[in-house]
Amino acid sequence: MTYRGKYLRTLSRRKLLQSAAGLAAATALPLGLTGTPARAAGGKLIIGAFADGGLTPFKEKIIPLAKAEGFDIQFLEDEYGVTLEKWFVDAQNKAGQYDLYLLDDPWVPQFGAADVLEDLGAAGIDSADTDWIGPLIDMGFWPPRKGPRIKAFQDATPKLVTVPFVGDLQTLTYRNDIYGKTAPATWDELIAKGKEGVAAGKIKYPVVFRGVTGNPIVTSWYPVFLAFGGEFFDDKWKVTFNSDKGKAAADFFVSTMKQNGPPGVVEFDSDQEGAAILGGDAGAIIQYSGNAIKSDDPKQTKVAGKLDFGIVPKVEKAIAQLGIFIAGVPKSAPNKANAVAFLKWYTSKATQAKLSEAGSIPVKRSAFEVANPGNRLIPIALKQLDAGAVPRPRTPDWGKVEELLGIELNKALQAGSGGGAALDLAAASVTAYLTKQGYY
Amino acid sequence: MSVVARLSANVRRQGEGLDLALPYLLLAPAVLFAFAVLVYPIWDGIRASTMSYRYGKAVGWVGFDNYTRLWSDPQFLNALWVTVSFVALAVAFETVLGLALALFCANEFRGVRLLRGILIIPMVITPVVVAIVFRLIYASDAGMLTVVSQSLGGGPVEILGHPARAFLGLVALDVWEWTPLEFLILLAGIQSLPVEPFEAARVDGASPWRVLLDHTLPMLKPVLAIAIVLRTIDAFGTFDQVFVLTRGGPGEATKLLSIYGYDTAFKFQDTGYAAALFVTMGLLILAAALAAVRIMKGMTPP
Repeated sequence: MTYRGKYLRTLSRRKLLQSAAGLAAATALPLGLTGTPARAAGGKLIIGAFADGGLTPFKEKIIPLAKAEGFDIQFLEDEYGVTLEKWFVDAQNKAGQYDLYLLDDPWVPQFGAADVLEDLGAAGIDSADTDWIGPLIDMGFWPPRKGPRIKAFQDATPKLVTVPFVGDLQTLTYRNDIYGKTAPATWDELIAKGKEGVAAGKIKYPVVFRGVTGNPIVTSWYPVFLAFGGEFFDDKWKVTFNSDKGKAAADFFVSTMKQNGPPGVVEFDSDQEGAAILGGDAGAIIQYSGNAIKSDDPKQTKVAGKLDFGIVPKVEKAIAQLGIFIAGVPKSAPNKANAVAFLKWYTSKATQAKLSEAGSIPVKRSAFEVANPGNRLIPIALKQLDAGAVPRPRTPDWGKVEELLGIELNKALQAGSGGGAALDLAAASVTAYLTKQGYY
Repeated sequence: MSVVARLSANVRRQGEGLDLALPYLLLAPAVLFAFAVLVYPIWDGIRASTMSYRYGKAVGWVGFDNYTRLWSDPQFLNALWVTVSFVALAVAFETVLGLALALFCANEFRGVRLLRGILIIPMVITPVVVAIVFRLIYASDAGMLTVVSQSLGGGPVEILGHPARAFLGLVALDVWEWTPLEFLILLAGIQSLPVEPFEAARVDGASPWRVLLDHTLPMLKPVLAIAIVLRTIDAFGTFDQVFVLTRGGPGEATKLLSIYGYDTAFKFQDTGYAAALFVTMGLLILAAALAAVRIMKGMTPP
């Protein structure tokens, strides 16, 4: 018998189909049918992230630990401005280039609404664990468990499509040689004492912030808006940010803060505001952890030892904006089982404690209580979480809303006045846009 | 019919069939490739422009609604105006400067070859790198202009935070980068002109200015038109430099159609509307190019 004949006889059509079905079942069972995926051989994991100082402790201290645990991690970083579109296209086209996205939390509704992320609750991530910081685990759900929902998802059951990864939020960084050992409690105090610091020649300006149109300026304005007691939407998505409180916040931002900020602040983004506070020019800043955790490193700041942290100043309230890194597993991930196994390991009590010791803001409450947190910012972050911190509105259209508002705020900032009028213009544009998208 | 005659008829038919099909068979790979990379994407773009998208998925056919929506969208109208202004200003400067440099470098003098080489360097640098360098020049906190101004006792120079200055700063970047292309095309044009009319003019005692107006420019018109058309088409699609330098700000002062379309498609996932915007932009560029070609034909000496 020839080799070909023997082969054909051995591998009949029925046998081939049986083998294929067996192979398919063997692959599918661990991934989908059993709920909890098993880790694939080799532990390969491709993580996508945007470049941000807030992930430095994770990169430097946690990835080596994960490698020791058997995860073969490839960490791919991109500039913030291109990651959303890049990952969305990857997920939508099922390209399978990543196993885990480290998203900015306002992107969760976009990915959730497009149904391109795995249900991590079904995969075995326990969202009921009481150790989670409540507002952070809430942000992982789509549609949201709390607050208004868009019409198309009004009756849908919330699924845990993402898992909090780094509990980042805005806090105040201030110069202790200007403000003393206690953080300025109000915006008025922040400005007044900052002016004294300028007069004494210790700093060049009391405050620095981001003025670039779109996301940067809205991110800087938001804690001021919250401090004045503003609310963005009501529970029917009606625009409320141009209330009297909102307008007062906008006027304060584009006039008082501009007058007490650096010249050219209209074009400032995070790199420039970071340089201003770490370079010793500015007295105070509301910022995320990316630059804040550099405050004690003499290689990265000219004023090491002079920077302290506090909760954000208030007018009515001292509420900060949450802006966490949040992890999602695309449905097209080639190593889905590894991604879920990694997330379980990463969000365990022990690893979260290590993350805290590495200097990053954890997402589990127990990790805030470690004996030696790696950064002075960590206990302040918990204080801010307890004082009040809110996420941006949970809508897939947040990017457009932020763009429309950011354009008007930026124009008012250029002029140095007209914050209230800018909010009215933005409210009209946002209402028109949301009407077109079927919100009302 | 004899057997021989039938056989020869068969042979001829087979030969004719193959002769007929062979050119198409040989062309097929190229045609298929062109269809895949050119025709299909355009067709798909046009199809997408008639659809409504929500959460990244097509949800229904809307006919020409996306096109009509464009003309009542203040952001689109602003982007169109900014783009047309940018193209007009940048291409005008580039053409005048490119022509001046080409006229200068058309002369033979010591070091002219080196100078020609140096002049085309900006054109070969990656646009993103050019934008980063210009950002380092323009930045009001630590940019080169501010450093120079402060060393002379002045204050910070604000370019990117001021609408008109940011727009002109962007034009300056484009002029720096793309004048060399105009220069190269026009230099080649000047060097291909016949020498006799110029020698005759010199013998007649014509001034250099009159030679330029009466001989060089009229004979150079077709080449000038080509240079202007090429740059206009290219400038309409400018993206990288704006993306890095201003992202369309401050406000919407530098928001070109390309940036607005990109944001609409990828950031806001309004794919159908973005497709309509890009199809419209393509038609505008096509109309501009056709008009230029028509003008060019009228200028070509018989």
